Amino acid sequence: MSEVLELAGTLLSAALLASAIRLTVPILLAALGAVFTERGGVVNIGLEGMMIMGTFWGAATTYFTARALPELVAAVPDLAPLAGMGAAVLAGAALALVHAVVAVTFRVDQIISGVALNLLAVGLARFLNILFFRVATQSPGIEGFTPISIPLLRDLPALAPVARNLSPVIPLALLLVVGGHWVLVRTRFGLRLRAVGEHPLAADTLGIDVYRMRYLGVLLSGALAGLAGGYLAIEQGHGYLEGMTQGRGFIALAAMIFGNWWPVGALGASALFGYFDALSLRVVALRIPYQFITVLPHIVTILVLAGVVRRAQPPAADGLPYAKEEE
Amino acid sequence: MSLPARLLLLQVLAPLVAILFGAVVASGILLAIDRDPLAVYGQMLRFTLTRADSLASIFFKATPLILAGLAAALAFRASLWNIGVEGQYYVGAILAAYVGFAVRGLPGVVHLPLAVLAGAAGGAAWAFLPIALRLRRGAHEVITTIMMNYIAAALVLYLLEPGLLRDPAQAGTPRVRTPEVLPGARLPSLRPLLDLVGLQIPGYSSLNGMLVVGLLLCVLFALVLRRTTFGFEVRAVAANPQAAEAAGIPLGRVLFTMFLLSGAVAGLVGLSDTLGFFGYFDIDFPKGYGFLGISVALLARNHPVGVIPAALLLAFLDRGAQGVQVFAGVPREVITIMQGVIILAIVVAYELLTRYLRALRKREAARAEPARPPLPAPGEGRRAGEAAGGGTP
Repeated sequence: MSEVLELAGTLLSAALLASAIRLTVPILLAALGAVFTERGGVVNIGLEGMMIMGTFWGAATTYFTARALPELVAAVPDLAPLAGMGAAVLAGAALALVHAVVAVTFRVDQIISGVALNLLAVGLARFLNILFFRVATQSPGIEGFTPISIPLLRDLPALAPVARNLSPVIPLALLLVVGGHWVLVRTRFGLRLRAVGEHPLAADTLGIDVYRMRYLGVLLSGALAGLAGGYLAIEQGHGYLEGMTQGRGFIALAAMIFGNWWPVGALGASALFGYFDALSLRVVALRIPYQFITVLPHIVTILVLAGVVRRAQPPAADGLPYAKEEE
Repeated sequence: MSLPARLLLLQVLAPLVAILFGAVVASGILLAIDRDPLAVYGQMLRFTLTRADSLASIFFKATPLILAGLAAALAFRASLWNIGVEGQYYVGAILAAYVGFAVRGLPGVVHLPLAVLAGAAGGAAWAFLPIALRLRRGAHEVITTIMMNYIAAALVLYLLEPGLLRDPAQAGTPRVRTPEVLPGARLPSLRPLLDLVGLQIPGYSSLNGMLVVGLLLCVLFALVLRRTTFGFEVRAVAANPQAAEAAGIPLGRVLFTMFLLSGAVAGLVGLSDTLGFFGYFDIDFPKGYGFLGISVALLARNHPVGVIPAALLLAFLDRGAQGVQVFAGVPREVITIMQGVIILAIVVAYELLTRYLRALRKREAARAEPARPPLPAPGEGRRAGEAAGGGTP
């Protein structure tokens, strides 16, 4: 009995939950990106590469901003990490633009383009890191945003790990979930994006610019994956380290599928995966080989796809290149 | 120029233009870091093509790429995605290593083939679940194979825990690996064979028999796909699954067989390193061949024999990258970027070529039958997973 209580205590400890929340954010941001691109009908396997670009440019820009403008950075707090986040978003979007050109305009198979971009991103990050920092695999350390605390909750000692010392990106990610849902359901842009993903020919007939919508969906996904990378490098790693994304771009795809192509669903799935992630770091207490915990998200994803957990409902034209009238 | 000649020329030109484009992009990067591109490329060519050790190294590096490329191409040919080559070869390699060190008392003629077959079986076993779920439950194999890659990586780490497959003799050292494979299960070096035909490669080269296995498999699968009934069924399924099924071809069985064959070949990818070079499976085992294999298949347009020059090209670039790093002080990552750009450029080039050919054929048809209205173009797009990977085979 006491062992069960002890186990429950470990599984629900505030420290574990706090770590789970931190590990949820990068998966969630990239999964939101995946929702936007696939709602528009474009599969983006290159999210991992876009995240890698975000980690490198986020760290590098933060570092050089802090070094180049010491007075300004001293006067304006959080300027350097803010610049880093901006650069991470742009870097992710830039790689996404390549995907859009190759997969939407040239209608090359979307999976092929994504695989090639992932290879490209690894080489590019190593090369740029050598160029800027003389070594291939890591940047100098950087400082992130000033941490925030949740009013009221922070005063409860039991909740201190969850309510204090939080990255401001965490509430931003939650806002993006709500905002993303609203955009997809309520706005003209969201409805058009979804129309293009469900039935591009019908959307085209109604005068919606299919290519434009698909470009926007892909660019949004790159920007969000870049943001996820920026968060990893600036807020979690306090510097760039090769391989720090650890395949989270692929896990994000899984979270999007588990979340049934909706932002709120992606939040739930990302939280579950983030929790497994946190758990695998402290399973010594559970007496289970940690490898069994690390593969849980992957197994859950396979089960979801196989329809064991629930039926997957992708947009109808997801992954299909669309050709405007020609030839 | 006659039409067939023009088509042949285009087929050859497309990859050359893509390689040239990659070189131009790399030149831009080289200029940006203040290097003379022509000097660097000259250095690269001299280093790779005039030294026996470089040539041996290129073929050694190409061996896993040939097999990984063939594995990816076989799945693509049946319009299936095998992104899981990566995980399949981890499982195949560790299983082959296990048979190599744990099975005792066999003569080499039996032991080595058994270890190689264990590799193939491991790869095929790891490919089973994704294809079974695809056929039974409609689960898309792109995502399931990616997930299986992560599970394979964790499985291999787990198997290397103490008490399982980890070598007890290494206890107390930082080495995390299986025991040494017995001599009877080691792949023979190609050096004696090459000596016979007068080719001298340096003694430290680890070029081994897996290269021959890879080359033979490429030829074998080219023949199977071209000359046999099964090959015909595969082509029919890839061209139009519904029509093939209506014509009585067992769609599910063809897809299942091709995917397992792809997995079996993938299971051989790591053997050149495990049984031909290291002699054990360790925690730092070379990774990433699976994803490179997809690139190889794309470059080869999924042709089993085309995989060979494509793998050699990537191996050449890799070796050349080592050369320019050491002798010209250029980061080898410039060449990695060039590889990525070449792959993107080549798929775009092939796509444009395919589209041009389709338009050409349509024009010919229109000339032959002027009364018929053209077919509507949209809606012909194919779902990523069901589409033949990278254009028509």
